[in-house]
Amino acid sequence: MTQQTRPRALNRLKSMYALRAEVDKMYEGGGGSEEERKPVAWVMLEGWANPILNAMGIRTVYPENYSSVCAAQGLATPFMERADAEGWPSHLCGYARTCVGYSSRMVELGGEIPPEAPAGGMARPILLVGSGEVCDARFKWFQSLGRFFDAPVWTIESPSPSLRERLQEDAYERNVQFLVDELKAFVAFLEKLMGKKMDWDQLEHTGGGTTEINRLRWEINELRKARPGPMHTRDFWSAMSAALYRGAADPEGITQGHRLMYDEVKERVDRGIAGINRPEKYRLSFEGLPPWHSLGFLEQLADRGWNFVIESAYRPGRPVSIDLSKYDDPMERYVRRRYRSLDESLEEDYGPEEAEIIRKEILRDGTSRRLGLRHIREYQVDGVVLHILLSCRAASSGLNLLQQRMLDTLKVPALVIEGDIIDTSLFNPAEALRKAEAFEETMDHYRQVRKELGMPW
Amino acid sequence: MAAEQSKGLARAREVYLDRSRRAKELRAEGKKVVGYLCIYPVLEMVTALDLMPYRLFGDMREPITEADSYLPTVVCPFLRSCLDLGLKDRYDFLDGIITCHICDVGASLGGLWDYAVQTPFSHHLDTPHTLHETSLKQEKAMVVGLKEALEGFAGRTISAPALRNAITLHNQQRALVREMYDLRKPDPPLISGVETVRVIKAIQSLPVQEGNQLLREVISEARERRDGPRKKSARLLLWGSILDDTALVEMIESLDANVVMDDTCVGSRGFFSDVELTEDPLDGLARYYLTEIRCPRTFRSRDYMEARKDYMKDLESRFSYLHDYARDWNAGGVILESVRYCDTHGYEVPGVEDYLDSVGLPRTYLEHDYTEGALAPLRTRVQGFLEIIG
Repeated sequence: MTQQTRPRALNRLKSMYALRAEVDKMYEGGGGSEEERKPVAWVMLEGWANPILNAMGIRTVYPENYSSVCAAQGLATPFMERADAEGWPSHLCGYARTCVGYSSRMVELGGEIPPEAPAGGMARPILLVGSGEVCDARFKWFQSLGRFFDAPVWTIESPSPSLRERLQEDAYERNVQFLVDELKAFVAFLEKLMGKKMDWDQLEHTGGGTTEINRLRWEINELRKARPGPMHTRDFWSAMSAALYRGAADPEGITQGHRLMYDEVKERVDRGIAGINRPEKYRLSFEGLPPWHSLGFLEQLADRGWNFVIESAYRPGRPVSIDLSKYDDPMERYVRRRYRSLDESLEEDYGPEEAEIIRKEILRDGTSRRLGLRHIREYQVDGVVLHILLSCRAASSGLNLLQQRMLDTLKVPALVIEGDIIDTSLFNPAEALRKAEAFEETMDHYRQVRKELGMPW
Repeated sequence: MAAEQSKGLARAREVYLDRSRRAKELRAEGKKVVGYLCIYPVLEMVTALDLMPYRLFGDMREPITEADSYLPTVVCPFLRSCLDLGLKDRYDFLDGIITCHICDVGASLGGLWDYAVQTPFSHHLDTPHTLHETSLKQEKAMVVGLKEALEGFAGRTISAPALRNAITLHNQQRALVREMYDLRKPDPPLISGVETVRVIKAIQSLPVQEGNQLLREVISEARERRDGPRKKSARLLLWGSILDDTALVEMIESLDANVVMDDTCVGSRGFFSDVELTEDPLDGLARYYLTEIRCPRTFRSRDYMEARKDYMKDLESRFSYLHDYARDWNAGGVILESVRYCDTHGYEVPGVEDYLDSVGLPRTYLEHDYTEGALAPLRTRVQGFLEIIG
């Protein structure tokens, strides 16, 4: 008798593989002599620097991504231990500690890429570009690498006003001008560093190219609202690196990859095929950054019928049509293409009626209970996994409040799992799985509560 | 007959131990009290409107119980403690609160406070993190925004003379603090590290005029005293994140060491330079609050437009003031301390260590979790360090 092999629980998208492979291109070309290589900048993910650097002919690599590559291959720990030995406190970001250890090892090898580095490794940088967006680590981490590299550090400053302030009449225009001036200063610095002028036409190409990629990613996510959910969060994470890190370097190729992904997801929706090869018992959202070292954990959850149909991190923004023709300044066009006013975003995301309620709540209370919950409602999830990261304040500090809001407003419960993006020692998959099993009863209970309240799912 | 009010160091200790008492008294008399987080909010404008600025602190002796619902345990315990006290109504006498973007969690605290504590007035300052020219312009806009918000709250505008007067008063406070710090230069120092923390915390719990009076009393008393700190083998400089309790310094000074100088934010950090009285006073205020406070939350470099970098020169531009402190206060070693999960201080540690090594100043790094109990194992570390520096 032939034994039937049960298919894997996750039903991976074929189109994902090509996009995932794009990330390897970031690290290709790292070898060879310095003369042969294009100059390399180590950059943090934030969206402003990459198209500018690419337009200046500088190759960009992302230590945050590279650390997740190391973690996924189980190779981050020796680098982190090295960072600890160098005196970096062990509570700091796992991405940063991996990068510090990698840099230390590189210096030990006289600037060469460590032979044990996965995916070809990151080449020695001529420049480090930090960011003021998202988290504190990004202000200071690259500066602290000065012990290893004499590469200059530029930190891109960007505004992060409170919600109330963002609704002030003049705040948006002031912040646009701030960004324009700040990025022009960055360009002036790059021109000095590289000894050549900025190619503004090229910036239109690298900056504008990501718009279509974003639109496609948005459309794919819209398809993911279907029942059963056609695309699992693991495919989203595998594919996102292409858009985030390679979109400006190869807009055409990455766009084409996403067109293929859109077609495949659409076909699944039309045919009622799910992102898991099991009946979809629970629809979930993953809140926070994933444990890159233990993504196999999701396979075990999928086996129980858990379909992660959406996630909070790296979601594309709603595409909008902006008339940029009235702006002569290429940097202003560049900024306005991406930086949106809160007023407009609320209107586009929530519709005029709900946007008005949210505005009033923000002006009165400084915040709104409705924010951050839209995807829970629209994707009709039964529960969320909150991944509290022991080394990341930025991704973790808001999760407890989110948990309360989801339960109060939408009657959707959360499973809190403590772990880390990189550090395997901080994540216990067996315990997480035990908690998950118990959480199913909670999801069942709240499904009943929502039903009794007449909620749509 | 009214009880005679204590003075000088005794008064500082009283205020330190019951810091909200004066704010509550003044509030009962009709004065509005505005809490502020960290040392980046522009206090001169609060004073100019005849409001009372009152710094938010945590309480490392109080277990955090309520804040767990809002902030996970992996974030700064000081900020969690601040929120915890807010949720336990320990800040219910505040009429307003000003927060700023000190760090991610500090920035999110403003929103959480609005949501969960609900002090009537609140304003958040999005203080830039770099010293770029554009950031200075942005800081000026933040200062203007704070002025407008405070005026709306107070129901009156800030007159130019009132603002100039407030700047003068706060500059006087800065000068008085520096004068008090000079009393730590002799050996033995005339005022201890523990007493210094008490005084700084006390003046951040009083209106500026009363704080200045207290400083004058403390300076006068310390100059005359016969019961000051005794001479010890080691004189130390303390660098690091917030220390709003005397416990750590007490532990160090219970050993054979005097803490004679510090670079912390309940210490010298907010007082060692003045606000310039510029034609538009807001220019001087913006420049001071963005560029003069040397907290690691701000990215500093020798010259941000510099395409060629020299690590040691960069460190020198960022940290040579520590060498100056050690020289002027005759400190023979440096204790670096940070509350766990303070990322901004955490990333600064290797650079500070490299700098101190380059100028030959011995140093050690202590990490604590903002509880009194966690200090015990650190005592052994400090003892070991004292033995090394001999």
